[in-house]
Amino acid sequence: MPHHVKRPVSVLLAALGLALGSEGVSAHHSFAAEFDINKPVELRGKVVQLELINPHSWIHLEVTDPNGVKTLWMVEGGSPNALFRKGITKNSIPVGTEIVVVGYQARDGANRVVGRTLKLANGQSLFFYAAPLPSGAE
Amino acid sequence: MRTIVCVLALIACTDRVLAQHADIPRTRAGKPDLSGIWQALNEADWNVEPHVAVQGATEMLGAIGAVAPGIGVVDGGAIPYLPSALSQRDANRSHRRTEDPEAKCFLPGVPRATYLPYPFQIVQSDTGIMIVYEFAGAVRTINMKSPGEAPVDSWMGVSNGHWEGDTLVVEVSGLNANWLDRSGNYASEARRVTERYTVTDADHIRYEATIDDPSLFSRPWTLRMPLYRRVEPGARLMDFRCVEFAEELMYGDLRKPGADKAASDKPAAGPGK
Amino acid sequence: MAMQRHASSSRFVATLLLLLALATSAGAAEKYKAPRTSWGDPLIEGVYTNNTNVPFERPVDLGDKAFYSEQEYEVRSKAPAVVETTTTVTDVHYQTADFGLDPDQSQMVKNLRTSILTRPANGRMPPLRPDAQRRSDAARAAQQAHAFDSAQNRPLQERCLLWAHEGPPLRPVGYNTLVQLAQTRGYVVLLTEMIHDARVIPLAKSRPDFGGLTRWQGNSWGHWEGDTLVIETTGISDRVTPRGSSVPMGPEGKVIERITRTGPKSIRYEFTVSDPSLWDVPWGGEFPMELSDQPLFEYACHEGNYGLPNTLRGIREEEKTRNRGPRQ
Repeated sequence: MPHHVKRPVSVLLAALGLALGSEGVSAHHSFAAEFDINKPVELRGKVVQLELINPHSWIHLEVTDPNGVKTLWMVEGGSPNALFRKGITKNSIPVGTEIVVVGYQARDGANRVVGRTLKLANGQSLFFYAAPLPSGAE
Repeated sequence: MRTIVCVLALIACTDRVLAQHADIPRTRAGKPDLSGIWQALNEADWNVEPHVAVQGATEMLGAIGAVAPGIGVVDGGAIPYLPSALSQRDANRSHRRTEDPEAKCFLPGVPRATYLPYPFQIVQSDTGIMIVYEFAGAVRTINMKSPGEAPVDSWMGVSNGHWEGDTLVVEVSGLNANWLDRSGNYASEARRVTERYTVTDADHIRYEATIDDPSLFSRPWTLRMPLYRRVEPGARLMDFRCVEFAEELMYGDLRKPGADKAASDKPAAGPGK
Repeated sequence: MAMQRHASSSRFVATLLLLLALATSAGAAEKYKAPRTSWGDPLIEGVYTNNTNVPFERPVDLGDKAFYSEQEYEVRSKAPAVVETTTTVTDVHYQTADFGLDPDQSQMVKNLRTSILTRPANGRMPPLRPDAQRRSDAARAAQQAHAFDSAQNRPLQERCLLWAHEGPPLRPVGYNTLVQLAQTRGYVVLLTEMIHDARVIPLAKSRPDFGGLTRWQGNSWGHWEGDTLVIETTGISDRVTPRGSSVPMGPEGKVIERITRTGPKSIRYEFTVSDPSLWDVPWGGEFPMELSDQPLFEYACHEGNYGLPNTLRGIREEEKTRNRGPRQ
């Protein structure tokens, strides 16, 4: 199992001598322009499709509201190539898997979020099944 | 007498062997050397089936945008579509101006990458083979040692190669669904493609690709064509980063109303430039 | 008397032999002789990683200190993870660790250096010439005024045309930082995983005629100097701007790369960038690469680039809101 290191993206990138907003691994795509920090969202839903593609993965979720109404959401994540190198394949997350996403919604109001955290229903990290985070870490 | 017969037999054998080995470049290990810059010279990318000249996807380019006629590259002439697969082909054809992956500068996949009307370069070493295509900077590595499987499908697939005599046989799988030409002929992600590259002389390769896709076709079918070496001095792959030529097609409707199209995408020119 | 002389001369010989052994082994480490391809070129093929925690530019407070000691390196490698407790404006982002994209989640190449950049001696980029700085500032202002007008106004990286770390010169990029080298008689190919760009470099005795044309990654040609592949690149397109500049290189811009196999699994990559229209001095550096224990996978960028149209849609929507004025 890989060591699940959690540190703020900005701190990590600063350590690498890269600054957000200038050239650097995250600056190929201005997330702040696509998603709205003032629109936090928490979604719980079933995976209907997993697009393990570049430059960003997309997880398609079916979210059912308390009235039983289903809506489709798309969750943007990272490049999957490192996951492939760790043995993840298109079959690793079966359709129907329930996941919890905390993120920020698209500026244009569409059912799209950038997934700040991606977890299975039991709190484990989606791709790495790591131990749940210590309480208070969020 | 026996000696004469033996000598004649020996000469005959050697002559046969020499004929097989004549005229084609070989690596130190004795394998045919496919290294070089190659290009197909036919109308397969317009339509792999035999076809007459017809109007292209837009009249705006006049005869330049027309579908050039072609004698076809498919064994037996027609692609053996299942009846259920025809409506998608027809839909592709009617929407080809905006939906042809080539128009969008998508990676062309296999086998279409081979017969795009642009050169590609085969880089053959002692251990492996890489093919670099001019169009969209497509590239693939042929695994010659340890066959691999894809964790997910990709545009250029996973290629596992081995030699059968003097023919390089490449099994390609893990391909995304893609089109086979500009006329809407297509294949699914379930397809397995078997390519055969046979060097016939110093400047020609005989290329065959068999497509096995039971979800769309009633049987595996084969297309075949010669590939020609680009022999002119200075032949080289150039930059065909076609993404910038597809952006207006794909994203033009998202331009800021009133924004000046000509002003975009030019660095500010400084003095002396 | 004779015994004393014998003992001291034995010590002398032993010391001499020791020094000789040390000198030879040091020399041998520097002069690893790479195996050859069947056509006689040094063999440098393989899929390599240059993953590192070494920053491109040296932290200012380190001055001219070019290397960490082994001890300092160990301490740095074990830096405790910082657990996030606050949300900042920059946090509209996925967790890179969830996707295995933190550098320390992948094979790391050991490197005691304090920066990739080694020239100038302080490990930091030289300033642009004042006239170039003025042009660069003007270009940057002009771009920012229209930054979201259309797809064509977005940076090259966002359009999936070319990513800065691909160079030349190459540099480590934090994740998916794999490079494949392929060879055949007369050519070397340098393929970056991200974003699947293959530089086909012809080997020649002198610069080939490139017909006066430029290329996005320049016109490169290479030759072997002993076991080192020397690649010279000129003619980088004016669509591309180098590090630290918002204006492109001029006609005298040049990148020299040197690739040397240093061991059965390792390579040294060195680079020098010069352009008298931009900098008064050349700049350059180096980093090691190691054979990757994992394969390189396709990184098709444009085909899955939903982010670009999504970003434009978002901005167009915001413009409508702004135009409507404050809601009553």
